[in-house]
Amino acid sequence: MLKKYYIPRLIQYFTVLFIGVTLVFVIPRLLPSNPVEHQLSRMMAQGQYLDPSAIQAIRETLEQLYGLKGGIFEQYVDYFKRLFTGDLGPSFTQFPTPVTTLIRQSLPWTLGLLLASLSISWIVGTVLGGIRVSFPRSKLARLIELLIMGVRPIPYYIVALVLLILFAFLWPIFPMSGGYRMGVKPGFNLPFILDLLRHAFLPILSMVIIEIGGWFLQMRNVASNIVEEDYVVYAEASGLPKAKIIFMYIVRNAIIPQITGFALNIGFIFGGALITEIVFAYPGMGYLLYSAILAGDYNLIMGINIFSIVGVSTAMLIVDLIYPLLDPRVRYQ
Amino acid sequence: MAILEVDNLKAYYVTQTFGRSSTVRAVDGVSFHVNKNEIYGIAGESGCGKSTLLKAISGLVKPPLQILGGEIRYNFADQQLNILDLKDEKQRRRLRGARISLIPQGSMSVLNPVRRIKKSFEDVIYAHLDVSEGEFEELVKNHLEALGLDWTVMHTYPHQLSGGMRQRVTIALSTILRPEIIFADEPTTALDVVVQRGVIQLIKKIKEEQQNTLILVTHDMSVHATLCDRLAVMYAGEIVEEGDVKSLFGSPKHPYTSMLLSSLPKIGDKSARVSAPGAPPSLANPPAGCRFHPRCPYAVDRCRQETPALRQLNETHRVACFLQEAGSMELQGRAANEQ
Repeated sequence: MLKKYYIPRLIQYFTVLFIGVTLVFVIPRLLPSNPVEHQLSRMMAQGQYLDPSAIQAIRETLEQLYGLKGGIFEQYVDYFKRLFTGDLGPSFTQFPTPVTTLIRQSLPWTLGLLLASLSISWIVGTVLGGIRVSFPRSKLARLIELLIMGVRPIPYYIVALVLLILFAFLWPIFPMSGGYRMGVKPGFNLPFILDLLRHAFLPILSMVIIEIGGWFLQMRNVASNIVEEDYVVYAEASGLPKAKIIFMYIVRNAIIPQITGFALNIGFIFGGALITEIVFAYPGMGYLLYSAILAGDYNLIMGINIFSIVGVSTAMLIVDLIYPLLDPRVRYQ
Repeated sequence: MAILEVDNLKAYYVTQTFGRSSTVRAVDGVSFHVNKNEIYGIAGESGCGKSTLLKAISGLVKPPLQILGGEIRYNFADQQLNILDLKDEKQRRRLRGARISLIPQGSMSVLNPVRRIKKSFEDVIYAHLDVSEGEFEELVKNHLEALGLDWTVMHTYPHQLSGGMRQRVTIALSTILRPEIIFADEPTTALDVVVQRGVIQLIKKIKEEQQNTLILVTHDMSVHATLCDRLAVMYAGEIVEEGDVKSLFGSPKHPYTSMLLSSLPKIGDKSARVSAPGAPPSLANPPAGCRFHPRCPYAVDRCRQETPALRQLNETHRVACFLQEAGSMELQGRAANEQ
């Protein structure tokens, strides 16, 4: 089991990480623009006069800082060395703040926002999907299905904007933007936490409304196939109680792909939720990435990408590792 | 004594698509009885309504399947009941698995793939009996031993067992509560012939030991010949012939039965086997008159217009064919000539 299942997956994990991180190194270097020259020309454009030897000195310092010194192979080795010490370099636009500091500031906001919306939508969608299949003749379940299917095709930003207009502008019970109110001291105290929840409510609600649909559909489709399976029919023919059939035969088996989906989505958190963060001006990773792209801040883009790669592949590894616990058919292959 | 009596049973699949309802008459006016302690076979091609009939009798009716008429009476020693009168799902549930039980098709997925075999046994036993863990183990151990199975299978998952083993385990599970009536729905399909033989012997052994009634549904006429006491042949949702196995196999009265039997290999007979030409009709729109007439080599005008009733030929034999009616001597003569 260890040799046949876990070791290949660990090898695969590290291979994916290596390739991903290498791509992050290669792609910016294929771009025609040179960030060092870019920075220099920006300084020149500000009207500063610099004599050629000073320009040369600045160029060398910048190359050193950006990891662009020496041949491509030298840069590559240097890149990995710095990566292992946790150094992703300085941000270009907020020089000299290190990229890791910027990410560390944004990550908790995104993490809180996305973990909450993911968990809520997953739980509600899965439970409703299970109910829909278990009680096929229930009018209420059908009504809920209709509602979810009606909301699902609405573009996300429209839902977000409508919520914002309704509950922050027309009936202002929630704040328009930001992660917390100015003047509230961040810390582990009740007023701050309440303020945090008030600010996070609309962004989370908007994401939950849209995401429930996907989880609901997947659960409903998988479960409605399982209802037709021979073992469910046989369980009915053997006179098992309805509750037992629903929980231990239908839901238990339909939830396996749901759990996979949940774990994979945790990996995507590190990329942030761009539109949510823009609409609600929420200080998360998506917003950070967005401004980094606009400003051409290569180090920051690379840093966020590396976080994303590690996040997604670690989530997939965890799914692979827990899968045998959920499905015995995998365990004995 | 008849333990099961089915009277003029009509089970249709009624579906509504965009307001247009379509009806598939899977079981259309079927009457028969099964005596206590006998093995009653139901034969017929795929799609003739065998499985639907089983579902209806065992009370597993779910939309789109609907019972539109008839009676299904069980005469247990201590209780008589009409399963169609049981409106409460709980009452039907208590019956299923305990007093009447199903041996399903030997397919891959009869047992829950993510549950150990022991869990499946627990599910069934605790659903009907209030026993302690010790009593449970004793019950299962005795039963497995009697069937020649090892206790170690209890700790496995279904996918770890071979097809034949899985079917044995399923049979053990279906019969652990000593049901009075066992329905076997194509129990040997999807198994190779060697395993089939073992499974048939196993079913026979259980039947002899537990003294219960067995209703065996399969399209495999050789299985019927080996096991059954009486046999009903179904065609397009109706029983076309019924009789004890000896007389039915010895002198089939319905042309369809003859067709089924002539496709069987016989020892010493080297002539090419004849298969029944054509396919069963659509049950959504069955042909008028005798439903077999489009495939019948002896069909006359009367067969296209009138529906033959299932008539008693003698004490044990019933057939639904004009060929066998008095006054159709001419027909019989023609049939004899052609044979």
